[in-house]
Amino acid sequence: MKFIGTVIVCLTGGLLLYGTMDLPDWGDPGSPASTHLSDYYIEHIMEQTQVPNLVTAVLADYRGYDTMFETAVVFCAGLACFLLLRDFRPKKDRYFRHVPTGVMLHFKNPDTRMIADNEFEHMDKDWVPSDMIIKTVCRILIPFIQIYALYVVAHGDFSPGGGFQGGVIFGSSLILMAISYNLKTLVKRVTEKFLSIFAALGVLIYVGLGVGAMVMGGHFLDYGMLAPLLPSDPGHIRALGMLGVEIGVGIAVMAVMVIIYVNIVSEGRHDEGL
Amino acid sequence: MNNMPAILVLAPLLGALFAGLAAWIQKQLSYYIALTAMAVSCFAAVSVLKDVVEAGTMQYRMAGWAPPMGIELKIDLLNAMVLVLISAIAFLNLVASVKSVEQEIPDRAPSFYVMYLLFVVGLLGVSATGDLFNLYVLIEITSLTSYTLIALGDKDRGHLAALNYIFIGVIGASFYLLGVGYLYITTGSLNMADVAVILKGIQGSSAVLTAFILCILGVWIKMALFPLHVWLPNAYSFAPVGFARVVAPLMTKVMVYVMIRLMVTVFGLDYILDTLHLADAVVWLAVTAILAGAFMALSQTDLKKMLAYIIVCEIGYMVGGAWLGNDLGMTGAILHILNDALMTFALFLAVGNIIYMRKQVAFSNLPGLFSAMPWTMAGFVLAGLSIIGVPPTCGFFSKWYLVLGAFEAGAYHFAAALIISSLVCAVLFFKVFEICFFASAPGDPDHHVAGSPQPIHYIHAAGHDRAGGDSGAGTHPPAGVMAEAPVSMLAALGLVSIAIIAAGVYAGTIVNTIILPFLQ
Repeated sequence: MKFIGTVIVCLTGGLLLYGTMDLPDWGDPGSPASTHLSDYYIEHIMEQTQVPNLVTAVLADYRGYDTMFETAVVFCAGLACFLLLRDFRPKKDRYFRHVPTGVMLHFKNPDTRMIADNEFEHMDKDWVPSDMIIKTVCRILIPFIQIYALYVVAHGDFSPGGGFQGGVIFGSSLILMAISYNLKTLVKRVTEKFLSIFAALGVLIYVGLGVGAMVMGGHFLDYGMLAPLLPSDPGHIRALGMLGVEIGVGIAVMAVMVIIYVNIVSEGRHDEGL
Repeated sequence: MNNMPAILVLAPLLGALFAGLAAWIQKQLSYYIALTAMAVSCFAAVSVLKDVVEAGTMQYRMAGWAPPMGIELKIDLLNAMVLVLISAIAFLNLVASVKSVEQEIPDRAPSFYVMYLLFVVGLLGVSATGDLFNLYVLIEITSLTSYTLIALGDKDRGHLAALNYIFIGVIGASFYLLGVGYLYITTGSLNMADVAVILKGIQGSSAVLTAFILCILGVWIKMALFPLHVWLPNAYSFAPVGFARVVAPLMTKVMVYVMIRLMVTVFGLDYILDTLHLADAVVWLAVTAILAGAFMALSQTDLKKMLAYIIVCEIGYMVGGAWLGNDLGMTGAILHILNDALMTFALFLAVGNIIYMRKQVAFSNLPGLFSAMPWTMAGFVLAGLSIIGVPPTCGFFSKWYLVLGAFEAGAYHFAAALIISSLVCAVLFFKVFEICFFASAPGDPDHHVAGSPQPIHYIHAAGHDRAGGDSGAGTHPPAGVMAEAPVSMLAALGLVSIAIIAAGVYAGTIVNTIILPFLQ
């Protein structure tokens, strides 16, 4: 079996090497990839879309249909984590800490209810008290990370960035909160319902802008058709459309990042974890 | 401007998103939203087919950009047929599956429907697109959703089957992507029609050959052609019924469509057949696939597994037909996409009905089915006869074209493999019919069945778990008492049975209005 594997790997490697024989030289300005379509994009993007970042224009406008499905893939990933990992069964063993005294209680019967909820906090078996330095530093950092995430989303059409990157940064700021405090703090502030709705809403903003263009009489995702709806310079409307879809992508990616994290660290129980 | 090509892909996507949101208001809502979305998509697909038959190929520019710069949907006769097939089967299955889903995944049914719709979006998008990279993105959606839904199935073995499928599926998808990368380096374009024009000038290039081999290998892995099929039987037989019934008829057939699209539209048949001389080897591979699939099916003792191996065998038919290198063979292959999807769908619908009533379909669970579920078994027998290739059903006609094509190409080994596999299928199905009809029901005192008399224990446990401790799990009603599946399930099976006969009766019309004009 190992021998067959080696042979297959060698054959595939050989095929890939053989394929490189007729490839254009590295960085050759005359290669098909840099002459066939690239010229058109470089010459026309500024006048057609008024977006200085060519990559964003190709990604969100010329090939916006692909990007919409990439966002749907992200949504799918979040939903897959929910479907496969989410566990609604109550946990058998539960631990509570009496906050004023630090006494730990261990419940083996899942039906027992805590009465004095304010004085007790739910925790896991290997709970360690949150470190004050980490907590303080993260508390200061998180808002700045979030502002930066919004900046990355909003400036996608001028500088490197966009919805995917911005969404990941925003999501990671929330994950940092879960790591520096505990998962309960995050889940209390950002509920599962909120995250699921935002994940779907983000993709819906993208598809909705496209359908809007279709309703206005254009092709799907033809942002130029949205001009009558927005009080703006008609030449700039494509850039605004791209900003709109980037915001949608950002929201979806942010929500999915957190959904994946919460489901994986808490084994789908959403109560305790890293 | 006609927006129907976009609507047929977007309706299920919007449906999925709204179904996801509506689940927070009321769980039942998401099913009805899914049903509406699929109905809209089905309507759009039929209207597109009608327009394409009347007015010729339809192009739709996404975001309004002209083809090589932007992405276009390009729907000719072949796509239009596949699109109608996908949306109709997905819609019917949604009607048929509501009870199965309630039984198998009661706590997360809304998410199941969202995932299901996204899977259908992927299949429709793959079939509608005229762009090589867009095809990859949509294959990614279909794969991701099918990994998830397969893992939702059998509690013990579903996860492992899905994991196996992920490993192999990811390799297949990356082969395809790598091939597209090579194509982009050599042509600078991703639009299928544009790439085809540029490729005409550089046919001798080794990079193009590499691209071709990588793309085709990737698609073969995804469609489970014989030596690359190992993921399929477990994945399809451990998936939840509601999903197995749509993935089994559609996923492999759509990948066969992608292969034919790459061969006919992108690389060109003359490049493949005249420049490369690979066709003979591939037909031999198809012969191996047919025989291996048929004989492996013969050794199964579980109905679902047996059908999964029959799919492996049928893929050999279509690949072989497409590579025979003549119009007859290609006609047979394309006709078989339609027919095999209908037959497999009917078989899996029937199996789903049996599972709904009896929880499992090992051969030891089948006795007495003809008296207990006569309508389901009528559909099952019809689909079985069609797989064997008995004349009034559609299976006969595509096999006829394939055999004619094989004789014209002088590929007698392919014709022989077709006939041998038909005989093996006859043995298989009559074995099943015999058990269902003649073997005494388990309730009888003189109960004896070929194979293990007692169902294996862990399936019992899984059945109990799913049905929430339902006391009926694993036990059978007494012999001779009707215990038929719900009407919604039977109605879908009835419609597909009619379609099987109709596709057979009108096979000539389908070939003359859709397949032959496409090949010219």
